[in-house]
Amino acid sequence: MNLYLNQIAAIVWKDFVTELKTRELLSAMFIFALLVILIFIFSINLSIVKASEVGPGILWVAFLFAGTIGLNRSFMLEKENGCLMGLMLVPADRTAIYFGKLISNLIFLSIMELFILPLFMIFFNIDLLSHLGPLLVVVFLGTLGFCALGTLLSSLSSNLKTREIMLPILLYPLLIPIIIGAVRMTGQILDGTELFDMMKWIGLTASFDIIYIGVSIMTIDHILEE
Amino acid sequence: MESLENAIEVRHLRKAFGTLKAVDGIDFELKQGEFLTVFGPNGAGKTTLIKILSGLTQPSSGTAKVAGFDVAEGHPEMRKEIGVISHSTALYADLTPLENLMFFARMHGLEQPEDKALKVIGEVGLSPRRNDRVRTFSRGMLQRLSIARAILHDPAILFLDEPFTGLDLHAANVLKEHLQRLHDSSRTILMTTHDISCGLEMCDKVALQVQGKFAFLENISDVDKDRFESMYFDAVRDNQFAMGISL
Ligand SMILES: Nc1ncnc2c1ncn2[C@@H]1O[C@H](COP(=O)(O)OP(=O)(O)OP(=O)(O)O)[C@@H](O)[C@H]1O
Ligand SMILES: [Mg+2]
Repeated sequence: MNLYLNQIAAIVWKDFVTELKTRELLSAMFIFALLVILIFIFSINLSIVKASEVGPGILWVAFLFAGTIGLNRSFMLEKENGCLMGLMLVPADRTAIYFGKLISNLIFLSIMELFILPLFMIFFNIDLLSHLGPLLVVVFLGTLGFCALGTLLSSLSSNLKTREIMLPILLYPLLIPIIIGAVRMTGQILDGTELFDMMKWIGLTASFDIIYIGVSIMTIDHILEE
Repeated sequence: MESLENAIEVRHLRKAFGTLKAVDGIDFELKQGEFLTVFGPNGAGKTTLIKILSGLTQPSSGTAKVAGFDVAEGHPEMRKEIGVISHSTALYADLTPLENLMFFARMHGLEQPEDKALKVIGEVGLSPRRNDRVRTFSRGMLQRLSIARAILHDPAILFLDEPFTGLDLHAANVLKEHLQRLHDSSRTILMTTHDISCGLEMCDKVALQVQGKFAFLENISDVDKDRFESMYFDAVRDNQFAMGISL
């Protein structure tokens, strides 16, 4: 068990050291998310539509698209020079590799989101600070589901020539329950609803998080085979 | 106990990619401490054989046991016993040699990963460059570093796929001496190479793989080293005719 946790930590450490040197993953995700938000800002007339009605959808579109770039990049690092083969040769359970990548993806996406949220607040002129706690819970639940499935599918598609295209094609349809849940909850939070008043949605999103992780644990062995 | 004595035991091993038979019925065993060199022309299936034995790819049929484990089961304990040098370096380009090897040491669960990493970096002569990014390394330096990665956890069985590629004369000699030491301390080694004199020099057994089959498998004591080369060239030529290549 100790070795297992150590292996997960080693993968996260390795991804962090790489990112500290290159800063490619975070900057690419951040710029992309920022651009999505800016494009919407210029195309929507906020004096006609209510910011809290369109805002949640736009926020999650930005997170998802930027996150997809992050997932692709994160797996590309493993494919370069046959590193994934090197990982297959260490005495680690395949699930340790999955959880290592899941956690580092989750951390990088969360950092990107923490930078985007204040900008979103300024551009849309929405007060997020008064609902910050519940908002972060919802963002975490959505991001966890996204990373859980995204990490699995980016390893599945990593052997395909068309990886960059296949990942979103496989990922987005399967993510629909989580996206609907996250957008709905974000909207309700901006309208001032409390977390307990949307237990149904929280339950739905959290169940899908668990389902995605469960499916990944069951299938990762076969997926990482060549 | 019989399976433990044989470090590697391969029976009717086959691997097909569609209609292409990369490995086509290979049988052999290696006792602990034996050194097998596999020669063979390009595309003979040597790399595929090593990939199957190291558990990286599944055989289409047949069985292979390595350190007593069935390779098809993909047991993590088996991977503790093997070290692999392959065509790709399996090193992270944005990390330094030290960071790369510390990472692999931690994944292997070794105590004091930093000390272990520094030690093997010294052994392959990369200490002065230990803090440079691997991306900036030359071909031979990368090869040295992948050797370091393969021997980091001191495995009992080594699979070396053309380990001399890109090494300068000095580094090649260092690797030869190192392999000799490993051989003397009864590590089991399976090596592929295109360098005939070097491959024959170190091994206990020689195999010649052609089109997925061992056309030849003998103890080194039964091999006439001078005739081996002409035999090898005959096999390569036949193979190229079979593949429709004429030079
Ligand atoms: N993943 C794959 N998919 C399809 N064919 C493959 C795959 N891997 C190998 N092959 C084919 O299997 C055959 C054996 O390849 P292999 O790499 O094992 O040869 P080799 O003996 O290592 O050659 P070399 O001396 O050039 O390294 C080749 O014809 C190759 O094209
Ligand atoms: Mg090869």
